[in-house]
Amino acid sequence: MARKKSRASVVRRLHRSVGATTALFIIFMVLSGLAINHSNGLGFDQRHVSQPFLLDWYGLAGPESISNFALGDDWLSFAGSQLYLNGKSVATISSGVGAVSSRDMLIAAGSEELLLLDHDGNLIERIAWGPPGADRIESIGLLPGNVVVVQSAGQLWRADSDLLNWQHADGTGISPIWPASVSVPAAIHQAITRQYRGDGLSLERVLLDVHSGRIFGSIGIFIYDLLALAVGFLAISGLIFWLRGRRNKSNL
Amino acid sequence: MMLAVALFLPALAPAASVYETQTEFLSRAFSGSPPGPGITWLSGERKVTVRELLGHDYPALRLRYWCRAGRSAWVLNEIGKELPITVGVVIERDYINSLRVLTYRENRGGEVATPAFTDQFSRVALEDGGALDANIDGISGATLSVKALTRLARVALFLHTDSGCKDGA
Repeated sequence: MARKKSRASVVRRLHRSVGATTALFIIFMVLSGLAINHSNGLGFDQRHVSQPFLLDWYGLAGPESISNFALGDDWLSFAGSQLYLNGKSVATISSGVGAVSSRDMLIAAGSEELLLLDHDGNLIERIAWGPPGADRIESIGLLPGNVVVVQSAGQLWRADSDLLNWQHADGTGISPIWPASVSVPAAIHQAITRQYRGDGLSLERVLLDVHSGRIFGSIGIFIYDLLALAVGFLAISGLIFWLRGRRNKSNL
Repeated sequence: MMLAVALFLPALAPAASVYETQTEFLSRAFSGSPPGPGITWLSGERKVTVRELLGHDYPALRLRYWCRAGRSAWVLNEIGKELPITVGVVIERDYINSLRVLTYRENRGGEVATPAFTDQFSRVALEDGGALDANIDGISGATLSVKALTRLARVALFLHTDSGCKDGA
């Protein structure tokens, strides 16, 4: 009987110390879990992390290459699948190949689509490239009169004034100007690199990784496993004490 | 190790599901000979109404559509949770003739692309208040995608009337 009481006392002491040790962890899990549950409403899935130490921790590097096109006073840049106007991210685009300006519109060409933008970076239209018989876009240029022309599988395609219809053009006798990628001012280059790294990591992703322990790698998961087992122990020991208390009350 | 796995998860996500290309959609909408495209600019009152129907601005300033003899076809995009869903809507007179998901990019909720779901939009019209005149049954686990398609149906019905195509323009 005395042995049984002594064992119960040890478990009770253990219950208290484990409870005190894991209290902070439980509070943290509750708060981070609530934040994750409402991450859509709070906009955490749309907000991006920009702290350099976190980006370094996740191994997020800058873009492999940035290609820039000078269009009057504006700079259109391609980095990965992002399109930037004057260093500000404006849209995603499939493998950027070039850009021109025509009729007060900026036209960015990806291998499978064309994006029409105004000078504030607002998307006018995203045009899926696909005239019958055309392959992927290889380059975009201009003919005299600001007529937009696209090269695809060695063939030329000429757009109408609204870029609604494309006609196969005979390449003889015409010499389009094909804008080439040029160096961009350093400030714009830095702004693009900073955003490119940050765009890869949402606040929701970080919260999920912190909540699961993944952010600390396999050690983090191991520690979280131990803490989870401790919480399980608390639940079971708490239940045992509660049942025992009820039994003792009924015996009185 | 687990961090690396977590970071690679997006790369392992399934690629976009293309159910029908725009060319196939237009060919089906106009029995194999679609008309040339027209343009409608989202500005002024039209922009305000589209914003009210969508709950936000449409992510483009102009839309192309195809219209012949009171029938119009629209290819519209709307984000379900994170990625845009491309939807083709054919409107005839006052009601939706057909609504089909052309490309679905989200990881979950692809059930909205099944005809069993999209057929609910057939012969649905727009009420004066901007709501659909029929109830669209939801799909468990695809709530955001269902809402996105419903919003696009409302926008397409409004644009059909607004463009004048309804009157045979």
